[in-house]
Amino acid sequence: MSVEDGPGWYLYGVVAAGSAVDDGDVSLVSEGPVAGVASRVPLEEFDPSVLPERLGDAAWLEQKIRAHEQVLEDVLRSASVVPCRFCTVYQTEDELRRFLSERGSDLSAALAHVEGRVELGVKAFVDRERFMTGGAIRNDAIRELSERVAQSEGGRAYLEARRLDQLITDELMQFKDEIAEPLHERLAGASDDAVRLNLQRPEVSGRDDEMLLNGAYLVSDQPRFGTALRELGAEHRDSGVELELTGPWPPYNFVPAVLGAA
Amino acid sequence: MSSRDLDHYRSGQPAQLADVLERVLDKGIVIAGDIKIELLDIELLTVKIRLLIASADKAREMGIDWWQNDPFLSGGNGGKHLEDRLKALEEKAGL
Repeated sequence: MSVEDGPGWYLYGVVAAGSAVDDGDVSLVSEGPVAGVASRVPLEEFDPSVLPERLGDAAWLEQKIRAHEQVLEDVLRSASVVPCRFCTVYQTEDELRRFLSERGSDLSAALAHVEGRVELGVKAFVDRERFMTGGAIRNDAIRELSERVAQSEGGRAYLEARRLDQLITDELMQFKDEIAEPLHERLAGASDDAVRLNLQRPEVSGRDDEMLLNGAYLVSDQPRFGTALRELGAEHRDSGVELELTGPWPPYNFVPAVLGAA
Repeated sequence: MSSRDLDHYRSGQPAQLADVLERVLDKGIVIAGDIKIELLDIELLTVKIRLLIASADKAREMGIDWWQNDPFLSGGNGGKHLEDRLKALEEKAGL
């Protein structure tokens, strides 16, 4: 089989050469100080002429994306890894090796930044019911109106309940704006690097509660990060703040976005 | 994972597709010169996938087949146009 006819190489990520990667489905392609975690794939599956159509196939897309993530998570258990973006495909092994060798120093620098570290994700939400009943509402207008709603009847009660609802929504928005950065800063203080990601809308997050923070943290000391998370959770429980942890992820958010071809 | 503090804040569910998508599709190193996909609007794509998974049959009944013929996904410059269509879709689907 000639190189031209052979399958391509799908590159999941890059590890230090000599890393112990125990996954029968992937190969380590070593060049100098770095090694690509790659597997052979049929090129026709990723050809630019058909790829857009495949990306429109939700079942194909989800399967491939989860497979990409799974390979990197398996690698992450035993080695630090610089993850590649989805669908990084080389047509030949020579091209893959040329990339690894030409960008070796950039890749080594990226590896050094994430060495011994994982990415953890923290999403924070506010539960409206608990926000209302908890200690977060310091707004006198809301308190007074709540009392009046409780005492009113009929149409008047309805109108005042609507007004109360709006006031609480405003208060909640303000609370979310005020608390997001301090929460992020505290978590950043327990990590080596940190970044705020775009908030996910409820139809994306799958939760009714509105997201106030979507943070990613590069963490070497996981117990320390866990302590910070627990303390924050305890401090803000009364305000209805709920924290959700994800990961450990390969450090997608802490590697350089673009490595140009030399 | 050794820390009980960390485990306490996990949902215990497998990673949500949205969290995987926003990383795998949008982050990680990009290497110029390889086979490249259009950088997709992750949020848009996630909503689309959820819509499709949740209600493919319903969508078809309504004559929605954007995944067959999608200017955004097929590399055209239809992002804005698609966003408008998606909004309409979401409203129809009651999202």
